[in-house]
Amino acid sequence: MKFGIFYELSVPRPFSRANEWLTYHNALEQCRVADELGFDHVWAVEHHFLEEYSHCPAPEVFLTAVAAQTQRIRVGHGAVVCVPEMNNPIRVAERAAALDIISNGRLELGTARSSTWTELGGFCADPDDTKKTWDEFCRVIPQMWTDDDFGWEGARFEMPARNVIPKPFQEPHPPMWVTVTTPGTELDAAERGLGCLGVSAAPFAEQERRTKEYYRRVANCDPVGSFVNDQVHTLNFLYCHEDYRQAAALGLPMVGAFSMSNAHLYFTREAYPTRAYQTLGNAGAALRSRGAPNGSAPADDPSVAKGLPEGVGIGDPDHLVRTIRKWDDVGVTGINFLLNAMEMIPQEQVLDSLRLFATEVIPQFQTPAERAARVQAPTTVPDISASDSTAPSTMPAGASP
Amino acid sequence: MIAGTASVDELAAGAPEIAAFGAKSVRLGGVTGLSLVAELRRPAREAVLPPGLHPIVPPAMSLLAWDVSESPWGAFSAAFVRVVCRSGARARTFCVGAAASTDDAVAGLRSQFGFPARQAEISLRRHYDEVDLRVSAEDGAGEGGSAGSGGGNGRGNGLMLALSALDPDPLSVGDLQHVGSMNLAHTPLGLQLVQVETHHEPSRVERLAARIEAFDAAAWGQPLLDPYWVVSCSVSLEDIEIPAIRFVCDPALPASEGTERVQ
Repeated sequence: MKFGIFYELSVPRPFSRANEWLTYHNALEQCRVADELGFDHVWAVEHHFLEEYSHCPAPEVFLTAVAAQTQRIRVGHGAVVCVPEMNNPIRVAERAAALDIISNGRLELGTARSSTWTELGGFCADPDDTKKTWDEFCRVIPQMWTDDDFGWEGARFEMPARNVIPKPFQEPHPPMWVTVTTPGTELDAAERGLGCLGVSAAPFAEQERRTKEYYRRVANCDPVGSFVNDQVHTLNFLYCHEDYRQAAALGLPMVGAFSMSNAHLYFTREAYPTRAYQTLGNAGAALRSRGAPNGSAPADDPSVAKGLPEGVGIGDPDHLVRTIRKWDDVGVTGINFLLNAMEMIPQEQVLDSLRLFATEVIPQFQTPAERAARVQAPTTVPDISASDSTAPSTMPAGASP
Repeated sequence: MIAGTASVDELAAGAPEIAAFGAKSVRLGGVTGLSLVAELRRPAREAVLPPGLHPIVPPAMSLLAWDVSESPWGAFSAAFVRVVCRSGARARTFCVGAAASTDDAVAGLRSQFGFPARQAEISLRRHYDEVDLRVSAEDGAGEGGSAGSGGGNGRGNGLMLALSALDPDPLSVGDLQHVGSMNLAHTPLGLQLVQVETHHEPSRVERLAARIEAFDAAAWGQPLLDPYWVVSCSVSLEDIEIPAIRFVCDPALPASEGTERVQ
């Protein structure tokens, strides 16, 4: 089981320059602590215009700072929006490769297509096209990373042959993922050999069903990249305290506020009738998990918004160990945690929660060897004075996927 | 989290009265429906909603029109101007204005479901290449109009709304998302937001490129509305069921605190 931390960079109202600064710098401090404690990943989203919910439109900048301030934790670009009005695939490949170099080969690249009208409409992007452009981006980016003479004539992207540089530090390239918000996207991930980066809540039984099918399909996939990334990560919240009631008292309001801010986004399906968006994104998933534990239609009582999805990481260490064992049992290989929402939990308590989790919970899911590897010394920078400078004799830890 | 800031007392001034909550649903047959979503400018975001509802980002308006062949109120046409919002975590709209073409429809929409309907001439014409909608106040009260994304206005001629939509593109019948209305009404439980759901059975859905040619915000009861950026427009052929009201919410409280089940 891998453990990560996940950033939307949600900012409290009233908005101010100081609040945004504090949110970013608290997050950077959490990343430094998580790195020292042995967490495996830091993920940062790409969202635009999503007031309060996510002030993180340039994750590559945030993650570059993380890479510069940490030694071993992997940095997850989770995920770059594969819509040409927002990102040109050449620029995605270039930025990702540069970040992989800066981080000594610690990059994971997530892909996504955006689920809100707020974002797609803001960039005048056509919602009908986002699945198609996502598919094309996923095919061309790994080729840009590995081919010295890459050209493309596709349905929505074309370029004459060029050498897209720099190349990523990891050989052959960083692991690739797709964010999974709506049911069915995990199958898209499997068929393309992409890791499944869950970003919406699903009950244990539903997650088990989806995960089983993911593994069945990924075993026979046609990977878009040079290798198959068959990991399944899920998104969760984390607030760990010795006293369960104190954990709940601080953690549950954070979960509720974050979920509510998500429900207040303007999802594409609501604004724009299209075949390309069949659900209300995260909001639909959250309502399903609260109102209908058996997968039936959500309750339409507007006062029903207090329930919690199964398996939330709020509680004392024993509770969290039991909860994570259930995620382990349904085939999840990693859990990424949101540590705060709108800065509701004071920073010191967020850091205490991280430390307690790392001390009491993570060791329950690791062998001693894994534990030692996680807290090992900083990565070794390649010796560029070696005779063959293109093939460093000492690869940084984690450079090989 | 932001919430509406409109005065409930001011909103209540023109609110319909529901003397008793009905137990039966209303079925509308042979409906040609038009649905348009347009973004609003920021001043309307909180100011048009009561404190019990939450605006979305960006602020948006949902315009709905029906041409109904069969109903308990006979054949009629209707149009609804609604602000997109959230009640608790759920997608809803707040109905700020409505119009219907017959006395019976106006009375039924007001007294059974709390739609703030007034009488108007409504023309919804569907062709194979375009769809047109015009709503005009029968009493000529359409002055003070503001243009939408297009030119023109309703000033002085009773025109409340005019739009045209071109180039229908067929979609699957499941591609259209319907969002319920929260209607402010005087009820046996006092002034409440009445939650009105609609169940749709479409046989055909088409998406079009629309242009608002005239929109008189004041005539619809909310001068702040300025639908300046059309997001989408669709037409559908369908039957619609409006179930009996089951939930009401205190307009001054969040849904988690102010919701009551009425049946």
